[in-house]
Amino acid sequence: MILRVRFHGRGGQGAKTASRILGNAAFNDGYNAQDFPIYGAERRGAPVTAFTRFSESEITERGFIFSPDVVAVMDDSLTADPTASPFAGLRKGGLAIVNTAKPAAEVNGGRTDIAVLTLDLTRRALDTLGKAVLSSGIAAAVARASGITSEAFMRGLVEELKEVGLSDDAISKNVALATAIYDVVSPIKLHTEELPARADLVPLAVVVSGEGTEDVVNTGNSASRHTGNWRITKPVIDYLKCTDCMICYAYCPESAMSAGPDGRIAIDYDNCKGCMICQTECPLRAIGSQMEGLQ
Amino acid sequence: MRPELMTGNRAAAAAAKLARVDYVPAYPITPQTEIIETIADWAREGTMDAKFVQLESEHSMMTAAGAAALTGARVFTATSSQGLLYAMEMLYNISGWRAPMVLMNVSRALAAPIVLEPDHNDVLSARDSGFLQLHSETCQEVADLVLLAYRVAEDKRVMLPAIVNLDGFYLSFTREKVSLPEQAEVDRFLPPYDPPHPIRATRPVSKGSAVMEGYLYSYFRYNMHAAALRAKEAFSEAARDFQDLFGRAYGPVEGYRLDDAEYVLVMSNSFTTLGRQAVNRVREQGVKAGLLKLRMVRPFPTEEVAALLKGRKVDAVFDQNLSPGLGGILYPEIAASLYHVRDRPGALLPVVGGLGGKQLTSDEMCQVFERMRGVDVGGERPEPMFLMRDEELTKAERAVATAGVHG
Repeated sequence: MILRVRFHGRGGQGAKTASRILGNAAFNDGYNAQDFPIYGAERRGAPVTAFTRFSESEITERGFIFSPDVVAVMDDSLTADPTASPFAGLRKGGLAIVNTAKPAAEVNGGRTDIAVLTLDLTRRALDTLGKAVLSSGIAAAVARASGITSEAFMRGLVEELKEVGLSDDAISKNVALATAIYDVVSPIKLHTEELPARADLVPLAVVVSGEGTEDVVNTGNSASRHTGNWRITKPVIDYLKCTDCMICYAYCPESAMSAGPDGRIAIDYDNCKGCMICQTECPLRAIGSQMEGLQ
Repeated sequence: MRPELMTGNRAAAAAAKLARVDYVPAYPITPQTEIIETIADWAREGTMDAKFVQLESEHSMMTAAGAAALTGARVFTATSSQGLLYAMEMLYNISGWRAPMVLMNVSRALAAPIVLEPDHNDVLSARDSGFLQLHSETCQEVADLVLLAYRVAEDKRVMLPAIVNLDGFYLSFTREKVSLPEQAEVDRFLPPYDPPHPIRATRPVSKGSAVMEGYLYSYFRYNMHAAALRAKEAFSEAARDFQDLFGRAYGPVEGYRLDDAEYVLVMSNSFTTLGRQAVNRVREQGVKAGLLKLRMVRPFPTEEVAALLKGRKVDAVFDQNLSPGLGGILYPEIAASLYHVRDRPGALLPVVGGLGGKQLTSDEMCQVFERMRGVDVGGERPEPMFLMRDEELTKAERAVATAGVHG
């Protein structure tokens, strides 16, 4: 038996740490284990993928998991993000664990041949930790679903959180959060089947038919990339307090503040990354914050 | 020791500690930095008795490394990619000084364009430098090859520096099971470095002297070549001792399911794991597939390669590197190894793949064996394969269209 788990999160949510907690827990439980992250330029909010394999026999695989048994989706905005494609290759009969407040049918990526488990981990993390760091919660959910013992999991959890330098207080809060999630999930016996995946290889002559420079000729095309989907926290203007003093406009590093048609300041949510500098700088405390994905 | 989960980077650092290195000059670069960070932590805590110094560039780092090795210090350092190229001038000097040391290279493809994931153009750019080269597939191998590299490099028959290669991400940041040997046993395997005539304040010696004459230069270069060739013998002996002490066997090459194999794929480094998977998959369909892993790249294991590749229907060389205008870099080396073999394989298929860490699906790797089976044995030179999936090309073309075209 080998179980392949693929974590999809955004930089800052703890996908890499989750993969390591699960790897450590499985290793403690007597399995062979392997974990591995992929993150291009390290950047908060950008999609991150991490992997854990564990197996009773030696692991003879490596690298990207194309055919996971389990996907752990830490941000429901990723279910519709083509650059993340969290359901790609998920085996028939596989399990998707999705952090969301939405019903399962809305976040299953259109797949009806898989099991979907939804958990509102962000809410639980905010309530217990005071911030939306999801590594402990999602790792607990996957560990429990895959039948890893509580003892092995908790030891792995604490070791990994120490490794990333958390204080004893933060660790005990994470343990409380993880315990609560571990207890609400049940072990799930998976019988998965790999989807047929024929790779269509293209000959070199086709690949090199283009001009082949990496020049970016279309200047200003970054506007077509809506970087606002990196946002975890969203600034919201209270127009009863706002005097349009434009301080937020001056401080916004993303030029996401502008005067709207009615002359009032408006936020370009397509490109606001949720750094919340505007909230810090607003002299009238007219900018509040709201977690993304919360109803 | 009890096996632990650790990254390839940590395994490299742990092996340096076990080797009781004296001096670690360092300069950070992704994906290598975790190695020097780990050693910096241990040196600061006092759990590793080595002098750690951060230099201002890889060029200075390698200069310091080579100079320290000449004083008789056991030296360890690490770099990746552009860092290795920046240090390149010093690599040729250090090998010319006949100064043994170990340099980890954590493979990352070379700019431009810039990328963080691995291919082997970086480490293979040093293939003519006089550094010995050992390439690893697993995190366990990273640790073990560091210890073997010191034994071989410091062997009086050899006296050459060595590079141990590990792939960025696929080993550097991948945690898997590693059994570190006990310190006492490592001490038995790797005694303190006994330099022949080290620089001492009390006993001056001139190193790296100018020769100015071609015949003298040739004399020293031929000697360097002979020393590199003797590294094979030194490696075999060291590997025998290593196996006696630690139970793990390492040859310059490693065969996988070769006994009755008719189609053999040659690979190196971490993607070899993907090649093994493909061998198993196509074997299930009745194809007599096998794999030959290159562990030692310098000296080149010519005889071992020839012995294991001869007599096959078709062999293929998987190059995770590209020499533009030629193709894969290892292909001609393998072909040359087979030229004088009586029972040569029916064909030798060139394959280039995994550039910049391009991900390879299991099916993609299996299709390499499919292509081998379709090769016209004894006919024309087979058309090289350059791996890319249709969906990847579509994504690439979409990106290029977004960037725009001239005109």
